[in-house]
Amino acid sequence: MTDLSFLFTQFLGGLTTAMFLFLIASGLSLVFGVMRVLNFAHGSFYMLGAYLAWQAVQWLSPLLESFWLAALFAALAVAVLGGLVERLLLRHMYGKEELYQLLLTYALVLILGDAAKAIWGTQQLSVSRPPILDGAIEMFGSVLPVYNLFIMLAGGAIAVVGWLILSRSSAGRMVRAAALDREMLGALGANVGALYTGMFMASSFLAGLSGALVTPIQSIVPGMDVEVIVEAFIVVVIGGLGSFWGTFWGSLIYGQVLSFGILIMPSFSLFSVFALMAVILIVRPWGLFGKPMR
Amino acid sequence: MTSQRLLAMTFAVALIPAAAVAEDPIKIGYPMPLSGPASVYGVPIVKGAEMAVQEINAAGGVKGRKLELLTRDSKASADEAVRLARELIIKNGVDFLSGTLTSAEAPAVSTIAKENKIVFVAPTSKTIQLVSPKNLHPYIFRLASNTDIDGRTGASIIAKWKDVKRVATIAPDYAYGRDAVGAFVEFIKKARPDIEIVDQQWPKLGTADFTPFITAQMGKKPDAVFCDVFGGDFVTLAKQAAPLGYFKMINNRLVDGGEVGTTDAALALGKDYPYGIWSDTYDPVIWPENEPPAHKAYIEHLKTFTKQEYASGWAIMGYASILALKAGIEKAGSTKSEAVAKAMLGLSFDTPIGKLTFDAKTHETGMGEFWGQMVKDDRYPFAIMKNPTYLSQGPYTQ
Repeated sequence: MTDLSFLFTQFLGGLTTAMFLFLIASGLSLVFGVMRVLNFAHGSFYMLGAYLAWQAVQWLSPLLESFWLAALFAALAVAVLGGLVERLLLRHMYGKEELYQLLLTYALVLILGDAAKAIWGTQQLSVSRPPILDGAIEMFGSVLPVYNLFIMLAGGAIAVVGWLILSRSSAGRMVRAAALDREMLGALGANVGALYTGMFMASSFLAGLSGALVTPIQSIVPGMDVEVIVEAFIVVVIGGLGSFWGTFWGSLIYGQVLSFGILIMPSFSLFSVFALMAVILIVRPWGLFGKPMR
Repeated sequence: MTSQRLLAMTFAVALIPAAAVAEDPIKIGYPMPLSGPASVYGVPIVKGAEMAVQEINAAGGVKGRKLELLTRDSKASADEAVRLARELIIKNGVDFLSGTLTSAEAPAVSTIAKENKIVFVAPTSKTIQLVSPKNLHPYIFRLASNTDIDGRTGASIIAKWKDVKRVATIAPDYAYGRDAVGAFVEFIKKARPDIEIVDQQWPKLGTADFTPFITAQMGKKPDAVFCDVFGGDFVTLAKQAAPLGYFKMINNRLVDGGEVGTTDAALALGKDYPYGIWSDTYDPVIWPENEPPAHKAYIEHLKTFTKQEYASGWAIMGYASILALKAGIEKAGSTKSEAVAKAMLGLSFDTPIGKLTFDAKTHETGMGEFWGQMVKDDRYPFAIMKNPTYLSQGPYTQ
């Protein structure tokens, strides 16, 4: 019995990792799926979300303790920044070789990394958990921190809402149409430019929000942008580039493979994840839920 | 060919006056990570070095010559540190090298120091490889502790806890973590044959989510943990482990050899610090009892120099690296690396945290660190070290 609850604890640990990654990777996947832009700077937006949330908490703290307001502010600010980046920079790269996009977004990684360092310095920063999400609950003999439960629910909610918008709303139909044939959608009178800006802002919002939401359980340090982008890319690749549900399942698989990999061979904790990615890339180069490139 | 030679000669001639003028400052090249995750340590270390240079110059310099610090961003990469070291020697004509943070950079720069016969003082790299008999040469000197000392000292603390039988380890998955844990396991087994190592976790550096590592470790029910997770990673680990009941399970009997006893780590965690754990620091910074007057003066100056409310525990390593070079130059009576390298063998010099001596055989100071339990103190909004005690090597010195 103890063994079963131990395995369940490990499963919950994997689920936490998975939902964390999904929060970050969902925006990355969204932008690639529709705009075919591999946004390296997504991790930088995530990092900015974390720093801005910390900043907002500092500003607000004499008046009120509101982590949520700070998180919302961070996400919105990053969304606005994303909108500016799309309008002023990325827009000129559409239709050109993907290499140019990569160079541009990579340049943004460097610029934003240095900017964050100039503004917030190199000290590790951290934000306390909001009191309402402090502590832990017990579930079938396993301890689950309330904040982890919150992250799981937030990840699930974003998956469902994202799916509903993409599949059921008229905006979602446009987005899917844009992914298939951008010129045709434009010729039919849709405002593709605004659609793309909106998409990019939504993706940046998700990045900023996930950055803000991790601050209570992670340190905010220079370099957190690059750490996370690699893992987010693994998840997106496993799930299938551009497939929203693929990213969701990719995250779940990544979390469990890592979690049980740690249990079985603690000396090679990361090996299992990279092995999984290699196998999937060999068997299905387009990922679990992706479609072969035409 | 001739034009190339001509060009080379022009450069050589251009360099001569710079080296010939006696009033020129003594140049010290200082590659150090100033961007990326490692800048958390690199920046305060450079601040410490800058402050030492400023103090020395204000007092008239060394042998009447000013010191000049040439700081460069190594990005914590061995390749970049090597490139910078070469550039500092060839282009800037530095007299000495110091700096580098990690155990990747320092051994790499050490080979450049050997090639160019330039004294190199490594302030923080802990790998035993740096001055192992195979890699030792006349120009390399290490200020810091090493992974053997770290692991042994950690083991000497845990060995005293008589009721501890099941010990787990968790450390970052690279040379530093592996070496320190290796030393720990070797010495805890000697000291306490009754102790069993029940679990070993190796999260990578920069892990964002420690949850699965922690839950896996908790499954093995340890009584105590030797940890070498440090810096921002420790902040992350502590915040994620606390609500899982990790520290409660081991009664806070965690010993961390990765300097999470610094004010830097304590400040970042604030009230989320896992009070009661044991850790180390090069400089306790806040020293409630028996603070040496030299340390007090140093911290006061550091606070104004960096305009920070609480000083960093890392600055001391940069500060001491400059003091070491100053003492070496003064003893040698020359800035020639060959003479200074010889003078530094067995050289003792005073620092705000006590006297350090470069062992003539190992080229290390054999520096220990201040260890102690991290406790709550109502005078400070973060954890401080109770009775910082200078420990080196534990009882197992060879």
